[in-house]
Amino acid sequence: MNLPEPRLLAAALCLAAAIPAQAAAAPAAAAPSFEVWHPRRPASEADHQVAKWGPRGLPSPGYAFRAARVLPITAAPIQDGVVVTRNGLIEAVGPASAVKVPAGYEWVDCGDAILMPGLVELHCHIASESFDLNDTVHPTNPEFRTLDLITLDHDQILAARAGGVSTALYIPGSGSNMGGFGTLTKTWGRTPDEALVRFPGSLKIAQAGNPERGSGDLGTDMMGMSEGIRMTLLDGRRYWQQHEAWQRGEGPQPKADPTLELLRGLFRHEYPVSVHTQIYQVVLQTLQQLRQELELWTVVVHGTFDAYRLSEDMLRAGVPIAGGPRQYYFDNRTGRFEGLLGNWSRGGQHGWRQPVLGLGADGLGVNTDSPVVPQEQLTLQAAMAVRLGWPHEWALRGLTINPARFAGIDHRTGSLEVGKDADLSVWSGDPIDPRSWVELLVVNGTLCYRRDPSRPVF
Amino acid sequence: MNATHPTAVVPWLGRTALLAGLVLTLAVDGHAQGRGRRGPRPDGAGDGAPPPAAAKPAEAPAAKPKHHVAIVGGDVHLGTGQRLTGATVLIADDKIEAVGHNLAVPEGATVLDAKGKVVSPGFVCVLGNGMGAGRGTPFADGVNPFDPEIKQGLAAGITAFLAGSTGSSAMPSGSNAVVKLAWGDAKGMVLKEDAVLGLAAELSLGDREKLAETVQKARDYLKALEEFPKQKAADPNAKEPAMPPGTDKVIAVLRGQAMLWVQLGGGGMGMFGGGRRGAARSDDVDAIRQALATARLFGRGVVLQKPVSAWLLPDEIAATGSMVYLSPRDRRPADPQNPDRTGSNLASAAILAKAGVPVAVTCPVGMFGGAGVGTGGILGQDLNTPHVDAAYAVRGGLDGRKALRTITLDAARLLGVDSRIGSLEAGKDADVLILDGDPLHYATFVTIALVNGKVVYDKAAEPLYRHITR
Repeated sequence: MNLPEPRLLAAALCLAAAIPAQAAAAPAAAAPSFEVWHPRRPASEADHQVAKWGPRGLPSPGYAFRAARVLPITAAPIQDGVVVTRNGLIEAVGPASAVKVPAGYEWVDCGDAILMPGLVELHCHIASESFDLNDTVHPTNPEFRTLDLITLDHDQILAARAGGVSTALYIPGSGSNMGGFGTLTKTWGRTPDEALVRFPGSLKIAQAGNPERGSGDLGTDMMGMSEGIRMTLLDGRRYWQQHEAWQRGEGPQPKADPTLELLRGLFRHEYPVSVHTQIYQVVLQTLQQLRQELELWTVVVHGTFDAYRLSEDMLRAGVPIAGGPRQYYFDNRTGRFEGLLGNWSRGGQHGWRQPVLGLGADGLGVNTDSPVVPQEQLTLQAAMAVRLGWPHEWALRGLTINPARFAGIDHRTGSLEVGKDADLSVWSGDPIDPRSWVELLVVNGTLCYRRDPSRPVF
Repeated sequence: MNATHPTAVVPWLGRTALLAGLVLTLAVDGHAQGRGRRGPRPDGAGDGAPPPAAAKPAEAPAAKPKHHVAIVGGDVHLGTGQRLTGATVLIADDKIEAVGHNLAVPEGATVLDAKGKVVSPGFVCVLGNGMGAGRGTPFADGVNPFDPEIKQGLAAGITAFLAGSTGSSAMPSGSNAVVKLAWGDAKGMVLKEDAVLGLAAELSLGDREKLAETVQKARDYLKALEEFPKQKAADPNAKEPAMPPGTDKVIAVLRGQAMLWVQLGGGGMGMFGGGRRGAARSDDVDAIRQALATARLFGRGVVLQKPVSAWLLPDEIAATGSMVYLSPRDRRPADPQNPDRTGSNLASAAILAKAGVPVAVTCPVGMFGGAGVGTGGILGQDLNTPHVDAAYAVRGGLDGRKALRTITLDAARLLGVDSRIGSLEAGKDADVLILDGDPLHYATFVTIALVNGKVVYDKAAEPLYRHITR
């Protein structure tokens, strides 16, 4: 009999031991609230050594947006609210009766509309052509990056604005086990540099279920693919450890390596891995290999099929799920359409497992994987998830503050708070209802989309 | 089974693997659930045996009184754009007998309480596959009334759809049928064989000439046929005119027996847009104008299939009595050289409806999903939620009342079966939904579906969505 790799075995045993105890303890203690796990994350943007942050506070006119209903997301809804913005930032949020608007600011009357933060998309391929997605030079390609490809007038970016999306994590495809580094960008800017939020936004890893096509030399099965991912990351970890030792004065300065440098930032928890992973077994592997063994800040970007059975494990490990674009799993054994995000968020008895806790209000978002599903339909992903059991209020968080937290950009965007970026979307009705449309999109304080009823979007 | 699904989720994986997965799924389901041409038919229909005498009430109307079903107290959307609050839908056997307020419910009627619920016509899909339909003419011989996909279609609100192919060559052709989701009733499934004949637009000059000649021959024949009784009266030896070879399909269109659908060319709208990659044109104005010329040639409106540029020509389309089906979510990028006259437009359905053009909607066709239900797609991109496509037409500015017509009455008009289905009106087939909310709200579920007057889906009794409660 072949023995599993010792670390994996240890992780599996650890998990196996942990689950029954937690399940037994669950009824007594209140469910823990979800926190993204990234303990080494630098305290501020200035403390990042590898990641490059985009500019803030760029010039924009003074505006006062007034709407019948304002959804700050991290605070209670406001009837007849006002949001004041200038120079790319939010200066005030509150009821119209209480907010003082400085002289010279332009009023933007949004009437009966709903004003909320711009939406945040964590898994898309929207800023360039589909043939730029999947360079599979090697089984793992940590030297690749999307930063140089961004085209801000790309069709999918135009659709993003018409769909209320203001921030997008634009990542390579899943054609290889490691597609390269993605970029967090706003969907509008005078230049790609101005639109930049952070590079790297994340490292794209595809655990299984597509990279098989290109692997070749190192095998096309789970073990072979895992080995490729692990070896590349171990190189990066070694480089990071050498750097840490050097910075403590305990060793020589390692020879600079641009590829390993980006992996160093990953181990410093300056940015997460975005993991294309789905199905119980594969997501379990993501948890064990990337989060527990290599201790990476891990974000799951599909999490489909029966992977929701891991909801409690992910809750305890601090691994969030940006679910979609598939929103159901048809269980042949029961004949049921299982709602994926409903099950991830609420937990419960998922088939053969003991009842497990769910990720709750804070651990889930949605993604379109656009252009697989057009970027404009991010809210439809939420709609379909709500249809099958995801609470509506949680879905609003899952379109805004949650993905911002998963990506580590919630100090800039994801809610309407003073000092955050002025990214606003104005909706004709419930933003999750496909019948509602975007009246207005504001990115970094600039009005960059206003609906033309004769042609809202191409 | 699960082993096939991982391949299906992968966005960039080859279609071959996906298809292989689907084929396997079908095969396994078929074995387990009685799918297939030789599936069980407990009513004995279709196996050649004569039905028992008791099953022939039509020939002895006095022998069996009508069975009534009364759907009472619901917010009734008629499908015509009108709405009656707290009304009754009265069904006698397989037909709607009356819709209105204060209707007397006959003694012995089955009463379905719809208070606090919404009642609507069953949804009609202008394109579809699976759901118990056969694969070729005559479809009546190939239906499987116990296909599990029928339940899934009913859960989506679908009670009828066009199965099969619509032609796209230089002469009208096609092999299709309007199929109803009459669970358990093989005889009740095929509403109309060969309902649609398809034709390509942008024909060569030679092909157009040939089409025009054929239409002329057909008209001459129909005229001769019309005059024949008079001739026969004058001359008992007069010979009945013979149908010129190759005109049968054209005659079906001229007589209004089949709808003429025009394929506009340029390929489907790919998931990657395609405008920038040169794979597809950014407008189809010329093809639409040629299709409208065809409409004038036949003297009947045609159906434009997924036009890109129809929003630029609404009045021209309306003037020919033509109709349109589209997916409001299909996007074709504009040509940057001519942005105002090229590309698709989310407002298309609204613009066309305003000009009086009947519009039906269908789902987008991407790598996953498409015009079927099934269990391997991506929710929201297939026929599991037809109301979402109508909802996107509303997003583009279509009036909410008209939007329901895009999946009911106007869809039935495009199929030429609006005298039978598509609205809740006396005399029409009793294909009715009871819904737990606004028909076009994304979270609304079908609670009860009736086809031909029989309850064929009950959310609380089926495993599909029973566990989802709010």
